[in-house]
Amino acid sequence: MKSETKGTAVTIGKNVAVIFLLLLSMILGLVGCTNRPSESGEIISGDAAGNENATAEEPVIIRLAGEDVGLPNPFRHTAGGAGVSKATLLYDTLLEKDENQDIPWLAKRWEMNEDGTSFTFFLHENALWHDGEPLTAEDVVFTFNYYKEHPPVSNSLTDGKKYIVTDTKAIDDHTVEITLNSYNNTYLSKIGSVLILPKHIWENVDDPTTFDGNGATVGSGPYKMEIYNPEQGAYRFVAFEQYYGLQPAVAAIEWVPVSDEVLAFDNEEIDLVMPTADLVSRYKESDEYIVEEVPAYRNSYRLMMNMETVPELCAVDLRKAIAYAVNRQEIIEKIGRGVGLISSMGYVPSSSPWYNSDIEQYDYNPEKAKALLEGRTYSFTLLTDNSAKSTKMAELIKISLDEVGIDVTVESVESKARDNALKTGTYELLLTHAGGMGGDPDYLRGIYGEKSTTIKGWSNERVNELAKAQAIERDETNRKEMLFELQKIIADEVPMVMLYSTVTYFVYRPEKYDGWMMIRYDHNQRCDFYKLSYVVRN
Amino acid sequence: MKYAKLLKCIRKIPGKLRNFNIFSAYGKIGFVFVLLMVLTGIISVLFMGEAHKIPSGASLEAPGLIHPLGTDDLGIDILAQILHGAFVSIQVGFFSAMLAGIGGSTLGILAGYCGGWTDKLIMGICDVMMVIPQLPLMIVLGAFFGPSLRNIILVIVILSWSRPARIARARVLSMRQEGYIIAAKSYGAGFRHLAVKHFIPGILPIILVSIIRLISKAIRAEAGLTFLGLGDPTSKSWGVILNRSINFSGIYYTDYWKWWVMSPLTVLILLVLSISFIARDMELLFHNKGDKL
Amino acid sequence: MKSYAKKHYLLVLLAVITINFFLPRLMPGDPFLYLSVEEGEVAAAFSEEQIAQYKAYYGMDKPLYMQFYDYILKLLQGDLGYSIYYNTSVLEMILLRIPWTIFIVLCALFLSSFFGTLLGAISARLREKPADKFMYLFMVVFSEIPSFLLGIVFLFVLAAKLKWFPLSGGITIFAPHTSMLSYMGDLLHHAALPIITLTPAGLGNFYILARNSMLTVLSKDYINTAKAKGLKKWQILYKHALRNALPPIIARIFLSLGSLFGGAVLIENVFAYPGVGKLMREAVLKRDYVLIQGIFLTVAVTMLLMNWLADVIYKKLDPRVFR
Repeated sequence: MKSETKGTAVTIGKNVAVIFLLLLSMILGLVGCTNRPSESGEIISGDAAGNENATAEEPVIIRLAGEDVGLPNPFRHTAGGAGVSKATLLYDTLLEKDENQDIPWLAKRWEMNEDGTSFTFFLHENALWHDGEPLTAEDVVFTFNYYKEHPPVSNSLTDGKKYIVTDTKAIDDHTVEITLNSYNNTYLSKIGSVLILPKHIWENVDDPTTFDGNGATVGSGPYKMEIYNPEQGAYRFVAFEQYYGLQPAVAAIEWVPVSDEVLAFDNEEIDLVMPTADLVSRYKESDEYIVEEVPAYRNSYRLMMNMETVPELCAVDLRKAIAYAVNRQEIIEKIGRGVGLISSMGYVPSSSPWYNSDIEQYDYNPEKAKALLEGRTYSFTLLTDNSAKSTKMAELIKISLDEVGIDVTVESVESKARDNALKTGTYELLLTHAGGMGGDPDYLRGIYGEKSTTIKGWSNERVNELAKAQAIERDETNRKEMLFELQKIIADEVPMVMLYSTVTYFVYRPEKYDGWMMIRYDHNQRCDFYKLSYVVRN
Repeated sequence: MKYAKLLKCIRKIPGKLRNFNIFSAYGKIGFVFVLLMVLTGIISVLFMGEAHKIPSGASLEAPGLIHPLGTDDLGIDILAQILHGAFVSIQVGFFSAMLAGIGGSTLGILAGYCGGWTDKLIMGICDVMMVIPQLPLMIVLGAFFGPSLRNIILVIVILSWSRPARIARARVLSMRQEGYIIAAKSYGAGFRHLAVKHFIPGILPIILVSIIRLISKAIRAEAGLTFLGLGDPTSKSWGVILNRSINFSGIYYTDYWKWWVMSPLTVLILLVLSISFIARDMELLFHNKGDKL
Repeated sequence: MKSYAKKHYLLVLLAVITINFFLPRLMPGDPFLYLSVEEGEVAAAFSEEQIAQYKAYYGMDKPLYMQFYDYILKLLQGDLGYSIYYNTSVLEMILLRIPWTIFIVLCALFLSSFFGTLLGAISARLREKPADKFMYLFMVVFSEIPSFLLGIVFLFVLAAKLKWFPLSGGITIFAPHTSMLSYMGDLLHHAALPIITLTPAGLGNFYILARNSMLTVLSKDYINTAKAKGLKKWQILYKHALRNALPPIIARIFLSLGSLFGGAVLIENVFAYPGVGKLMREAVLKRDYVLIQGIFLTVAVTMLLMNWLADVIYKKLDPRVFR
């Protein structure tokens, strides 16, 4: 009896071992299969392997650090710069942005009617989709109608709750007329940044968020997608040979995941890196590299004050005291490792042509803060996200506010929870890093103007009035005056304390590739997010 | 009078421990290290004030005379942070283990004593807790409750009461079969009497071992959660120091890691090892096999 | 007895599904809310209207019980839903990542069970000798060190400083592999550190289990009989002792899958290995409820299955055990 059970034990044991090994080899095989680019399984290929005409020079392939940001079409890329920029390389827009203004792109030129509510765009005649179909005015008309039903991830066509386009008409094969619901200084840029869709692919698609069939990444941009590997977070785009416009500057762009960008850059695994201030000096000394210093004007750390739930904060003196008491230079020294740009209390960044320098600057002045407080003491909770940087910054703010008699308790939550608190107004003080300061200063209307929900419990009649008026003011001098006054009031009122903008360093090897466009007029993104960085410009 | 036996049993445990020689060499080392950490933690809280929060030197100084373990990116002394972190880590470990141990064993005794649907319910929840992938659940719970020390303790308790509960239940079940319990019951002894006089003294030693093991588990869990960025970044526990240092960009590149990463890592490993040595010795002491974590 | 067990597992599964559904939804934060921006990023912003539209699309505007009903209904059809952040089918995403996780988990399991048992047997054979004592201590120490801490040490020393292994990833991207062999080599090269890191935790358990059961078996009568028969010591060890020690070890193989999975979640994040654990963390950070649920369910069901298998196999192998 005993030996019998032992016998079965061993055979089962052997079987288990065999099954185990089989499983192991199967999985090895499975991992293998999903990753060879030669097999079609996971690769969503936009007409792979274009005709690579042999040229005398070796084709340049640039590699960048990347991660999975979704399938790069207007409906399925992830929200955020890395996702948007990939879709922008595949899909063309009517206009593009350069260092100074909007420039012609898919539209060779455009005209505006008298009252500025209708634009006529004249398209390039020889534009083609990646699958060889010609691009016509019909595609543009289709796109604007389709987006009304199916908003893309990055949607610029709604203002408030209204869809700004009321009518789109094809005048002929290459002329489109777009009618808008009203005039606004930003609307041309908004229409100009819409990614144009191929009608012949999307007209039969009912649910674009789930569509990944044939042609899901066919656009008309300078590059087409060859490989997308979601689990590794890798992409490969190749030059579109029949491109109508400024020619693609490299044969291919590859995004690969790296764990440490600096290390990868030094091993020449990637061709562009954004090192921290500590590490940048090593590149500055060598001729092999070019180092560019670009302040992120568009984004800024800010200290929000909730005047809805904390009545004390309604007193402008307290808000001013906080602004004077926070040592922004120290924050830059310690948190930014010495680099950073103190933000303007008038919100509009100093790089903007609309920036008003003649406003209160709020240089660090604890004495003035104490004088403003007149010996009153307060106690607040400062909510921050749980990133190391924000927590450290909150600790510094706590230390400097403590000094003037404002007792601060730092509370740190996960970033989405912090955002939720910001939205619902369940906070006293809150530290956040937010964008929205690039391009046209109409953003002041969204942040400080009527119906704004960003700043809790604060509103100013004059600000509302000016914000509304400047949006439709077509005379530039008048508009500038209005915006200058706006900034002055905002700086005097301190509805939120603007802290600082980070500075980004970009390092690359010019020998490998030096087509990077460092600054775009809207300071929207990083140089590797700009389309003009990847085309040959004159 | 009723509690005499319980008191006697509790008194007996330090008696067993009084003789330090019952520990093995490793157990002794472990014991000394844990004691050292507790002491430094207390000293740091009582006497060193805000040294773990206030910058006292330049950023990222290498270890030297003034800063034996160097400074971090804010210029805060790392040794001061480590000492204070000991307090935080031990606090998390101790409170979550005590709560889980006491709560779990209470439920276990109830399940074992009452049987029937109470037993089924409690053991059912136990089974769910055993099957659910702990770390993923911890991540979700951690994000759900939000990062604060209290919540982290709560999460660890929720995930670790099931083992002491099982142990206690098994023990109570076997004790119920024994003559003196049956006799006591036939004399009309109630649950309270039985629990205080028999069950608790009976399970105390194994639960104690289990609690010690839970301490080390909780410390590891806290470090793991904070490593993933789900801890309480204001708490300055060892996990937080580790998380900050590893996320310092370019850390691979410079020499900072030698003191900034390695010092919290080393003390964490040493503490966890020390506790496990103690637990191992205690297990042998109470002749208790199995129930390892 | 058996039907009770099955019902029991079913109940546990139901509980897991329920927790799985409600927990992520109770998390504070809204997946469509982008009010802050990471450094070096551009702010993504959804208008109120867009948020409402998305919520309707994902059914999140309905009351919770309706969502639960829909969820169960879809689950029964094998539909895990659509990721909110990545805009991709959750099942597809998990299927792409899970082979990587299973690969390192199984490799680590194989290494730890094989070497653990082997060393345990040797240790039992050399009982009380210095080698046994040393091995015991070594195993205890290594199995107690949290594996992610070990991973960090390996990452810094073996990958960053000595450059023996890649820092991250599962494979060299876009590398032209001429043969299957070079491809496999690359795969193993990337998986090596995660596997090595994951192995010690299990190794100690198997070692102690094997050592203990061997010691028990070695003290049994029939071993003495075998000795009397003049069998060589190693023969006895292999023929009798190991065979009898095997059932608990095999059951343990299945049981330890659970803790290995948990360990892999952390390890994958240390080495940026493209498995489910890394995806899980991203999903939590992005508040991608649907994705969290999908991963959670997959892992929980796998573990439930493994526990059940361990139960069944243990009962089959060792008729003495019953509960």
